[in-house]
Amino acid sequence: MPKTVMIVDDSASLRQVVSIALKGAGYDVLEASDGQDALAKLTGQKVHLVISDVNMPNMDGITFVKNLKQLPEYKFTPVIMLTTESQEGKKAEGQAAGAKAWVVKPFQPAQMLAAVGKLILP
Amino acid sequence: MDQPLQTYIEESRALLEDMEAILLHLESAPDDRESLNALFRAAHTIKGSAGLFGLDPIVSFTHVAENVLDRLRDGQLAVSAGLVELLLQCRDHVSGLIDTVAEAGAALSDEQQQAGERLLLALHAVLGEPGTAATAPAAPPVPKEHAGAVETSGGGRVESDAWHLSLRFGRDVLRNGMDPASFIRYLATLGEIVSLTTLAEALPEAAAMDPEGCYLGFEIRLRSEADKQAVENVFEFVHDDCDIHILPPRSLVEDYFKLIEALPEDNHLMGEILVASGALTTRELELALACQNLKAAAEPPDEAGPCAPGKPVGQILVERGDTYPEIVDRALKKQQQGREHKAQEARFVRVHADKLDGLIDLVGELVIAGAANALLAGRSGNAALTEASSAVTRLVEEIRDSALRLRMVPIGETFNRFQRVVRDVGRELGKDIALEISGADTELDKTVVEKIADPLMHLVRNAMDHGIESAEVRAAQGKPARGTLRLNAYHDSGGVVIEVSDDGGGLKKDRILQKAWERGLIAPNQNLSDSEIHQLIFEAGFSTADAVTNLSGRGVGMDVVKKNIVALRGTVDLDSGEGRGTTARIRLPLTLAIIDGFLVGVGSASYVVPLDTVMECLELSAGERAALARRNYINLRGEVLPLIRLRDSFELGGEAPKRENIVVVSHAGQRTGLVVDALLGEFQAVIKPLGRMFRHLKGIGGSTILGSGEVALILDVAALVKQATAREMAATDAAQTAMH
Repeated sequence: MPKTVMIVDDSASLRQVVSIALKGAGYDVLEASDGQDALAKLTGQKVHLVISDVNMPNMDGITFVKNLKQLPEYKFTPVIMLTTESQEGKKAEGQAAGAKAWVVKPFQPAQMLAAVGKLILP
Repeated sequence: MDQPLQTYIEESRALLEDMEAILLHLESAPDDRESLNALFRAAHTIKGSAGLFGLDPIVSFTHVAENVLDRLRDGQLAVSAGLVELLLQCRDHVSGLIDTVAEAGAALSDEQQQAGERLLLALHAVLGEPGTAATAPAAPPVPKEHAGAVETSGGGRVESDAWHLSLRFGRDVLRNGMDPASFIRYLATLGEIVSLTTLAEALPEAAAMDPEGCYLGFEIRLRSEADKQAVENVFEFVHDDCDIHILPPRSLVEDYFKLIEALPEDNHLMGEILVASGALTTRELELALACQNLKAAAEPPDEAGPCAPGKPVGQILVERGDTYPEIVDRALKKQQQGREHKAQEARFVRVHADKLDGLIDLVGELVIAGAANALLAGRSGNAALTEASSAVTRLVEEIRDSALRLRMVPIGETFNRFQRVVRDVGRELGKDIALEISGADTELDKTVVEKIADPLMHLVRNAMDHGIESAEVRAAQGKPARGTLRLNAYHDSGGVVIEVSDDGGGLKKDRILQKAWERGLIAPNQNLSDSEIHQLIFEAGFSTADAVTNLSGRGVGMDVVKKNIVALRGTVDLDSGEGRGTTARIRLPLTLAIIDGFLVGVGSASYVVPLDTVMECLELSAGERAALARRNYINLRGEVLPLIRLRDSFELGGEAPKRENIVVVSHAGQRTGLVVDALLGEFQAVIKPLGRMFRHLKGIGGSTILGSGEVALILDVAALVKQATAREMAATDAAQTAMH
């Protein structure tokens, strides 16, 4: 059974690229466009790792991670936060919320694969 | 082009459109925080995804703009008219950059290049940075390790050629979703793990153990070509939680000693483990212990220096940690403010337009097949079959309506594009013009929306350039100095009406007439109604503007506008009063694919009259039939109704039946009667365009297939009415000439 990764970002193109890279590495991928969407799509699914952007409409990444960590089945699920070099503060905030891993935007697909690979195997 | 890049281009264009709308909105509401956030988010997304595709010019340019937007968002910079203008220009520049991506191989013109550099300078000036145009960091900082860190020459160094890693995972790593096993497996991708010793020394008594906690430590020897940064990066995400010591191959014996000291386990135990794992030889261990004694004698025990290779990275972070809660607090507060506004949630499924077109085509075929079915069922005389087939027909109709509704999009998006146009053109012309939009929710077919944008643009520019007067003239006439341009849309009897109105000077009839005479478009002294005079400006090469500006008034345009609208089976007419403004009213069909028609028969042929043009049907009485030999009109309740005999006009030949019928159709307020043999009732016509050979035929708008499989032509009522009116006019003129 391949492990499932959820990518939460408001940019469809970013999701597509990440999704193609992860699928190529043998993961299953779920996509969501913002925090709300992600929470809705997580129910009834088994997701092994979540990648989330910080800046998103409807529900931003930090709020999303806080909500995610409240769910018993996702309490221990690793979360990778997408930050920017200008957002050191956001990284700390994300870590406080429970997203201990991060990838700095803009990134190359290989960088994302490396980050995911450190946390879970396909 | 590959799919994600295509998505990126579409997504960026949508975001750029949003940015434009937000920037224009900010001009009137400079403190709208949610807008500032959304603006930042848009730039952020464009940049972030551009990086994925390696679109460095977009990344580096947007990066600087994003910094400005970030400061706007934080309130460090204030929104000003100048800044909005600058950001609009930046938006346009990014749009240009996206275009070059869209057309593979295209490059920025020198002009654009220079504009970009100029904008970067301006942005840096706003940021208060001295920066030059080329300073923006383009790519993510690629970690480069100082290769000199690892030396291989002897002298007090261990013989082992492998890295040595001592890992003590923190209690919380599992709770944080970090699995030590994953990191170690990832580490194995960097090279070969020569030995791995698991330390469970920290594991407490079962009663005291936290089942969710992690108590494990690992001593790992790794043979790898990777540099220290790469090895360290493996544990990037757990630096905070873990005690990690990394010794490069051939480290100093002293470093191993420091390592033994720093680890929580008993020194002798660690020494044994290191020897057992092959990191140190027994001799090296003895050396290390000797080293310890020597040190202890020479100086008081001291911590490893800051540049010692074994220094835990986590510690450096902890040392910096004092600022941490403060940042968190501030950020949390900021976030709460942002959350008060919530964008409305809309759920959409994005479908490729081709798929929808395919569906509509199939539904069209279904309608035809359904009609054939109903026809055969009716003929069979089997009541149950007729019943069942009429149920199918009803469902097919519903499916047709739902399918067509899928392609309906609100006109609002097109309207909103004009905010920018009105603002820019207004500035260019030196006129202060407000744009009012209403009926933005009105929906019409996507194809129609796409194709109506150009004609609308023309009408809007025309209204601004020629319609709305300069502020001085307006003041002199007692009008408010600020001109108003209105875009409105609404549904009206099976069609959509789009209005472009201005409160300017209106059309000057005298000048139009004079121009029309000069151009030979009308005869001198020809009597024309107001609406006919207004229609003259849609003639080719007609322009009454004395000054030709670069916006409009080159005399090409209004005829093209009309041609485009007619191509959409629409009409355009003008309503104007001198001094009070002009309204251009575009009437469009809801869809281009299927119409409700009225089927009539002439001889063996069938024709479809678009149902929304049909006013009434009546029988041609015997008396009037006789009179028709002499004239082409009848008296309908006291009014003259010009008639067209379809049999004659389409040269069908054959004898007319004893009873003929008239279908009264109306177009733009003019009524005409079509004389036909039989009225066959309402009919859903799936429009099939005519072949190229038949495009020029007057009076025929398309074709459709009947349930029986026969082809029926769809009448172009507008052309027929015009034809009848022109003929009557000519006849009247001829009669008048004859009398003189």
